[in-house]
Amino acid sequence: MSRAPESAPPARLDHHALERYETAWLGVAAVMTALLFVGVLASVVSGTYPLLDAGSGHAHDGPIVRGRVDPKNLAATPFAKPGLVVDAAGQPLLNDQGTLDAYIVAGNFTFQPAVLRVPAGVPVTLHVTATDVAHGFEVTGTNINAEILPGHVASLTVTFRHPGEQHAICNEYCGVGHHNMITRFVVDPPATGAKETQ
Amino acid sequence: MTTALPSQSAPSAALPGLDAATLSSLKKLTQYYAVTAFIALMIGVLLGPLQALNYGGINVYDYPLLKVLIKSYYQGLTLHGVLNALVFTQFFISGWMLYLPVRDLNVRPNMRFAWFTYLTMTAGLLTAAVPLLTNDATVLYTFYPPLEGSPVFYIGAAVMVAASLLVAGQVVWLWLAWKRAHPGRVTPVVTYMSVATWLMWVVAALGLVVEVVVMLIPWSLGLTRGVDPLLARTLFWWTGHPIVYFWLLPAYISWYAFLPRQAGGRMASEGLTRLAFAMFLVFSVPVGLHHQYADPNVQNSWKIIHMFLTFLVAVPSLLTAFSAAASLEDAARAQGGRGLIGWVRRLPWGNASMTAQVLAMVSFIFGGAGGIVNASMAFSPVVHNTAWIPGHFHITVGTATTLTFMGVMFWLVPHLTGKRLASPRTALASVWWWFTGMMLFALGMHWQGLAGVPRRAQVSASAQQAVYDAMHLGLPKAITAASGIVLFVAAILFYAVLWRTLLSRRVDDPESTPIPTSEAISAAGETLAGASPLVRRTEPLLALTFAALVLVILVYGPVIAPMLANYQFIPGQRLW
Ligand code: HEM
Ligand SMILES: [Cu+2]
Ligand SMILES: [Cu+2]
Repeated sequence: MSRAPESAPPARLDHHALERYETAWLGVAAVMTALLFVGVLASVVSGTYPLLDAGSGHAHDGPIVRGRVDPKNLAATPFAKPGLVVDAAGQPLLNDQGTLDAYIVAGNFTFQPAVLRVPAGVPVTLHVTATDVAHGFEVTGTNINAEILPGHVASLTVTFRHPGEQHAICNEYCGVGHHNMITRFVVDPPATGAKETQ
Repeated sequence: MTTALPSQSAPSAALPGLDAATLSSLKKLTQYYAVTAFIALMIGVLLGPLQALNYGGINVYDYPLLKVLIKSYYQGLTLHGVLNALVFTQFFISGWMLYLPVRDLNVRPNMRFAWFTYLTMTAGLLTAAVPLLTNDATVLYTFYPPLEGSPVFYIGAAVMVAASLLVAGQVVWLWLAWKRAHPGRVTPVVTYMSVATWLMWVVAALGLVVEVVVMLIPWSLGLTRGVDPLLARTLFWWTGHPIVYFWLLPAYISWYAFLPRQAGGRMASEGLTRLAFAMFLVFSVPVGLHHQYADPNVQNSWKIIHMFLTFLVAVPSLLTAFSAAASLEDAARAQGGRGLIGWVRRLPWGNASMTAQVLAMVSFIFGGAGGIVNASMAFSPVVHNTAWIPGHFHITVGTATTLTFMGVMFWLVPHLTGKRLASPRTALASVWWWFTGMMLFALGMHWQGLAGVPRRAQVSASAQQAVYDAMHLGLPKAITAASGIVLFVAAILFYAVLWRTLLSRRVDDPESTPIPTSEAISAAGETLAGASPLVRRTEPLLALTFAALVLVILVYGPVIAPMLANYQFIPGQRLW
């Protein structure tokens, strides 16, 4: 590899030209960064994806405090009956925020309930926790994707517009059975959803 | 490239310069660091293609022969992640960023301390290796509790990381001694970049050190009843994001300071280089929540603040892209290059070291763009923990960093040992194979991730194939599997060159292959008094470190405080 003789090239970049380009580029970089931030912020504010609750928003029955729960004592919480919260007649119950609640438990390489069912057309708040180690909760074809930790409850509110069937996949390594931790996630048509119980 | 630039600074009476014996010991030490790193990478990289086959739908983990070596996909994956991302990088960088500033400043380090540090790091590595190999720490390289590995693993890892902080301490110490002996002088740029990176790493490492020493070690020894998985993850990512800059900036040092000369040109602007590294020092750490957008019980406002700071650290990388492109263009035009992009052809493509680094940079254009996508809260839920993520970081740390270090080895080994690079043509081929393989890998994995395939999963053995069949993954799976084969070939070619070089006899004076330090188009000057305001303001690295620390405390304090107040004691589990 040889370096060119000093006199050969007609116009090499000099100090001043370089400085001008640098400043321009720094400006472009700063503007791009600002635009990016504003764009994402607009998306957050307009709700293009479900934001995770920070542990203070939802009032629960039983000992769920600031989004924390004792994984050894789920029996005393709504997680004892995984699935959509229903009244005595089997009708889905609205909470005081005006959404339905669905409780989901991850653990031992499975999700509970074994088939997750929610109705379309109404806002549903999903509450997910884990009994043993960290798990993931990703619903295919949607942007529902949360980290599920024992001792913590991940809550997010979604309205499913269309009925159909998807899958919930565990996407956080949880041990040897991790790749089999997949379950059906069914969105029922609005009318029948209300009747949906086990 | 045969002329050595004059050493940056003459030794003064107060500060002894490098003598021949110290230099030869230092070169040997650097070689030990680099070779240990590349041995770790070799083992890690042998496992990679098996994982690529897994994501190609081919499960090889039931072969009895393989079963003897690794018990499960996940044990292999833990080894792959730990050896490549933690061991390879840290060892190489420790050697590289000790050697460069010492040569740049021409100061005499305490070699006994330096060797002690290397031995400590190696002892930590060997300690951690035992439970990894016996399947007692199959917790992946992120070791999220409450999955609980053997305490031996956490202790070994802690010792290894602590050793890197000793290297940091030694370099900062030498730099301060040089500053005292040369008042009013501008720190030479290679030293500046190295010291800034080390100081950033010191601030960054605090999270991991606290997590491992205060939480995980006592817990795995049975001394506490549990750990809070959310706090552990938060401390982990305090370190886990800036660690990627700790991997990347040593490659940037080469792109800024050495690659221009290797390409036949000059470094662009020293002032801009310093600005970029000062920004990395201040803004690399307070951004870790962008790995936790999907975590419960973290205020969204703090996630948004970390996101903003994350976007801000894209700026110094954009500056780097500018400088690197400018210096390459300068080089090519000096050699008669013409046209808007036609000049690219005039770069010395026959040089494997230059080619490796330019291809590493090309891969980083895609990797960096993908990183901005990952950092966007709105897009993150689409890709979080999917195959997209490994697709992303194999073209950042797996190529931008790794391919640069591979390219550096092509001149560093001759420079350290006086041995000649065996078969430069094979070296050149290995570089192209690696680049091609990683581009294919990234294509296949990004694609699968968008379709919803999770990462860290032995998908080829899943009992629920129908779920994946419904995603129509034929093409991306084939591309991923093929990429594994291409990368396997690349690795064989590269290691053939490396081992043949290392095992050959010493034929030249090592110094006849110089460190390819480049001149700058806009130099910073020798004295602070005559330097530009930018150079003067970026010079006080300790003050910038303090600013970084304050910023980190500001953006992490309110995040961590509620986790402490609501601490959950979750017992450990071994589920592998
Ligand atoms: C021969 C080249 C390589 C191949 C074929 C390869 C392949 C793979 C694959 C398929 C995965 C995803 C596994 C999963 O998520 O289940 C993976 C993970 C990973 N790779 Fe590589 N890789 C290679 C080289 C590298 C290099 C050079 C580095 C870094 C220096 C690296 C670092 C990692 C890390 C950190 C992970 C994540 C491990 C985890 O999720 O716990 N790999 N690799
Ligand atoms: Cu799992
Ligand atoms: Cu990050």
